[in-house]
Amino acid sequence: MIMFHDFFEKYKKAWIIIGVLLILSPLFGVYLADLVGYHEPLDIVAEKLGLEEKTGFYETPFADYTVPNLPDWLGYIISGIIGVLFILAIGLLIRAYYRWKKSE
Amino acid sequence: MVLHLHIPDGYLDPIIALVAYLMMILYGIFVLRRGEALNEEKITEMTVIAAGIFVAQMLNWPIPGGTSLHFVGGALAAILYGLKGAFIIMFLVLLVQAVVFHDGGITTLGANVLNMGIIAPVVGYYIYKLITTKTNIENKEFIGAFLGGWFSITLAGIACGIELGLSTQFLYGLSVSVPVMAIGHFLLGIVEGIITALVIKYLRKEGE
Repeated sequence: MIMFHDFFEKYKKAWIIIGVLLILSPLFGVYLADLVGYHEPLDIVAEKLGLEEKTGFYETPFADYTVPNLPDWLGYIISGIIGVLFILAIGLLIRAYYRWKKSE
Repeated sequence: MVLHLHIPDGYLDPIIALVAYLMMILYGIFVLRRGEALNEEKITEMTVIAAGIFVAQMLNWPIPGGTSLHFVGGALAAILYGLKGAFIIMFLVLLVQAVVFHDGGITTLGANVLNMGIIAPVVGYYIYKLITTKTNIENKEFIGAFLGGWFSITLAGIACGIELGLSTQFLYGLSVSVPVMAIGHFLLGIVEGIITALVIKYLRKEGE
């Protein structure tokens, strides 16, 4: 597993830090937010102005870092993992492109 | 009203959104062609940094009164990987945030990349470079990274204010949106500066 070595073993420390941040993230994104009654600032402005946030062209099941049927704190962590996996997947594609270009 | 930097769909009118997309594409073509060639190892490292910045952005510190504070990372990415690397890293982060989580819009992705993937890195990069190469102060790496991080957010905030102020879909005009965003992000940017400086200090020490 060359890929596993390249992406994980070599950057073990970075992944440990990322893991710790992920576990801590609901403290900020969910707990503290509830504590101060936080809403997205732009949402508040929108409400005042009578604007409606257009959700775009499709619905994503993970809107605002939630996962359907999961409590917010867990959804937040799982969302974080999903986001990291997407970034890794795109990174792998870019890497494959550079490998292919080198072999040309 | 102090807003954070991820502009959702529906806040920019089609013209502003389109102009921002064009600027992103033109800058992207320009920056990807110059500088050091990328290789597989660099891409791997940048992917790990992008994952780290994505997760760091989730540590959203809400501030009573309707704003929030989180690390952005544009200056950090630029100090570590130059403008080309920073563009790729921030584009990756912003793309996944917009497409998977609707954190920042799809139509406004161009504007968000312009603010956080172009303006923030350019400002952070040149301030850091200026201070580390042209001055002889003590701890110049730390101070350069601090000021780079700080002003990267201030300028990104001003740019965001201009885009919102110009948009006919946003009812506040430039005279409100720009000063509010500028002052807000001048203050919020201090934290960005501190985090950027600490991370640079840590990584440079690790690298020794």
